[in-house]
Amino acid sequence: MRKAFAVFKREYLEVVRKKSFIIMTLIFPFLMGGMMFVPTLLAVRGIEGKRVVVVDGTGKLSEAFAEKPSDQQGENSPMEELTGKKAGNQTGQRVTRSPELKAEYVAASGDLKVAAQPYLDRLKLDRGRGADRLDGVLLIPGDAFTNPEAKMTYYSRAASDFITQERLGNIVNRAVSRGRLASRGIEPAEADRLLKRLQLEGVRVSKSGEEKKGGELSFLIGFLFVALLIFPNLIYGQEVMRGIVQEKSERIVEILISSVPSLQLLGGKVMGLAAVGLTQVMAWMVMGGLMAAYTGGAAAMAGINVFQYFNLSVIPWFFVFFVLAYLTNVCIYAVAGSVSNSEKEAQQFMGPIMMIVFIPWILAFPILQNPDSTLATVLSLIPVFTPVTMFMRVLVAEPPVSQLILSIALSVATIYVFSWITAKIFRVGILSYGKRPSPAELWRWLKVA
Amino acid sequence: MSGAAGEDSSPAAARGAGYNGGTLRTARVSREGTVVEESVLAVREVTKTFGPVRAVDRLSFSVRRGTITGLLGRNGAGKTTTLRMINGIFLPDSGAIELFGTTEAAATRDRVGYLPEERGLYRKMRVLEQLLFLAAIKGRRPADVRPAAERWLRRFELWDKRAAKLEELSKGNQQKVQLIGALLHEPEVVTLDEPMSGLDPVNVVLVRTILKELKAQGRAILLSTHMMAEAEKLVDEIVLIHQGQAVLAGELDDVRASFGKNTVHLTFEGDGGFLATLPGVAHGRVETNVAELRLETGADPQGVLAAAVARLRVSHFEVASPSLEEIFIDRVGAGAESSGHAVASEAAS
Repeated sequence: MRKAFAVFKREYLEVVRKKSFIIMTLIFPFLMGGMMFVPTLLAVRGIEGKRVVVVDGTGKLSEAFAEKPSDQQGENSPMEELTGKKAGNQTGQRVTRSPELKAEYVAASGDLKVAAQPYLDRLKLDRGRGADRLDGVLLIPGDAFTNPEAKMTYYSRAASDFITQERLGNIVNRAVSRGRLASRGIEPAEADRLLKRLQLEGVRVSKSGEEKKGGELSFLIGFLFVALLIFPNLIYGQEVMRGIVQEKSERIVEILISSVPSLQLLGGKVMGLAAVGLTQVMAWMVMGGLMAAYTGGAAAMAGINVFQYFNLSVIPWFFVFFVLAYLTNVCIYAVAGSVSNSEKEAQQFMGPIMMIVFIPWILAFPILQNPDSTLATVLSLIPVFTPVTMFMRVLVAEPPVSQLILSIALSVATIYVFSWITAKIFRVGILSYGKRPSPAELWRWLKVA
Repeated sequence: MSGAAGEDSSPAAARGAGYNGGTLRTARVSREGTVVEESVLAVREVTKTFGPVRAVDRLSFSVRRGTITGLLGRNGAGKTTTLRMINGIFLPDSGAIELFGTTEAAATRDRVGYLPEERGLYRKMRVLEQLLFLAAIKGRRPADVRPAAERWLRRFELWDKRAAKLEELSKGNQQKVQLIGALLHEPEVVTLDEPMSGLDPVNVVLVRTILKELKAQGRAILLSTHMMAEAEKLVDEIVLIHQGQAVLAGELDDVRASFGKNTVHLTFEGDGGFLATLPGVAHGRVETNVAELRLETGADPQGVLAAAVARLRVSHFEVASPSLEEIFIDRVGAGAESSGHAVASEAAS
């Protein structure tokens, strides 16, 4: 084991001391911040064709979703602020029109749920793209003006559509606050200074009709964590591959193989780089925590409570699935490195490997939106995709414990088989300068090495 | 060098792949009847093929403590493949490598040192750190070998460069680092593949001195080289291989003596080109101011001297055994193939 530790230490120190590692560790959080910020900005600017129904128990908030009232000079209606477009008018019901968001206003009296039921049914069943399509239903309780503890409810199929949710909340809150203040004889201009907001609770509706609490974990946090899971894997998996190719081309392998049993050599190498990846991720987490603490206030001022979307219990799962994902992928990289004679040759293996690593990433959107869908479930039980996919599901939902256990067991079994094969191929491949081992030779090594 | 050939006092029988398949003794009895040092490394009937190429072909020899054995041969003769098999890098297709009386490579790998022919070091790693790593993968604690690493580095005038990255060093200095790496863990068997390559004359002398010290300490040294003049100064025993087979093996003195004292060594001034064509000269190699002339059986060396003195200023004349280089060329040089095989089959019979 001492030899494996010597290899581990060498691999770890070599990478951690590199300038590129230090720079990457320091700037990646800012890069990620940019990657998060830009899509958010785009998302805010382009809530495309969202159709929501606003069921108003008070019956007094139509103006908030209507075109700008002439008596409110110098101030846009919240809806216009949101869409940048003037709202249209329709008899009976007011429908605000814009390319970004269509809010159908319904004044309701009596039981709000009953009034909203037809729309909720539409929401549940309708997944088409026709005129009947609905993305969300906002319920405003009748006592909104009088009861400061009143709660609005927003029904949607995607709990992660927090921007629409947040904005609708803002619109109603502003209007309700104005109404409250106006009833006490406060001028609208002054009202704006005294605006008070109500809490908004997101409810995710699933096909089975079961209602789950949503909004605790957001889509973006999901993406961030998945990125933290995938990118170090990619970077240090490649590092393992490059290291092996380099040792081959620099003939250090002869020294290594003549000194260290191949399993210890591979183990030391792989664990060394896993430790590098974990070091980096932990540094990012600390930095991210500091940044979150610093920007948390700013986000709160912008009306978004960041911590509402973040669940600390995810972190242990993160480390579990990080290690599983890393060990699964790195075996594939090590094989690629072992059978290649140059970095150029090794690059040829990158395409297929990247595909394997990136499939969960490409599918992150649907998986995060529908963590219990067939796609997510199946993918989270296919060995090479298990760690990343299952982590996504843990992040936004509560997958059945049996599936969790199964996925971890599958991963461990896969890693066991992969590393056994890898160690053997590594031992043969690492010495085959220019010449691939024949199957007969390979078999001999499998027995002996 | 011992083995089947070693116990026979006839040097002629020592030629060729002398091992004939029986048990190989790890101790041998000298001509005087005393037990000589045990062999710590035995290569037995080892064969290794790469595709259609038979790199090593039923090769057998052994190496004893306190000796330097030269593994000699032309480029591609199978020297490096043999060293790699001894170091567990390749497995033989057939035959066995026995170290310290066992074929279990894992049990003995820490007691063997290896200097590969090509540089095998991390380019970006610092010199001292690299050496401590090399010792660590041979099972030594870095802290334990650090004083020794310092001694070696000082001796090779590299101590000031201990914090330099390997790639910042000259080729010769890199070779010295590699050599320290092969020796730092104090191996009992030292296998060196062309250790002098890239070294300047001062360092060549230093390495030669070090190898003699190691020999005096009782280490078994196997030295692979194609530089015969260098081998001649160092080795006690030789194994000359050609196309993967041993064509000549034994103690250097015996091997040379077996060729008889029929060679004239001349040092002179003038154009000695005619020497090779003198009557009685079977084979002559003439270089600037030196010549080595193998005489035909029964030819008189004095006749050659008289002919030489007539046309050249001769400063040195000696009748002796052929040099290792001459033997090498005779055995494995161009056109020597048939004679090499003849020897092998003669020994096998």
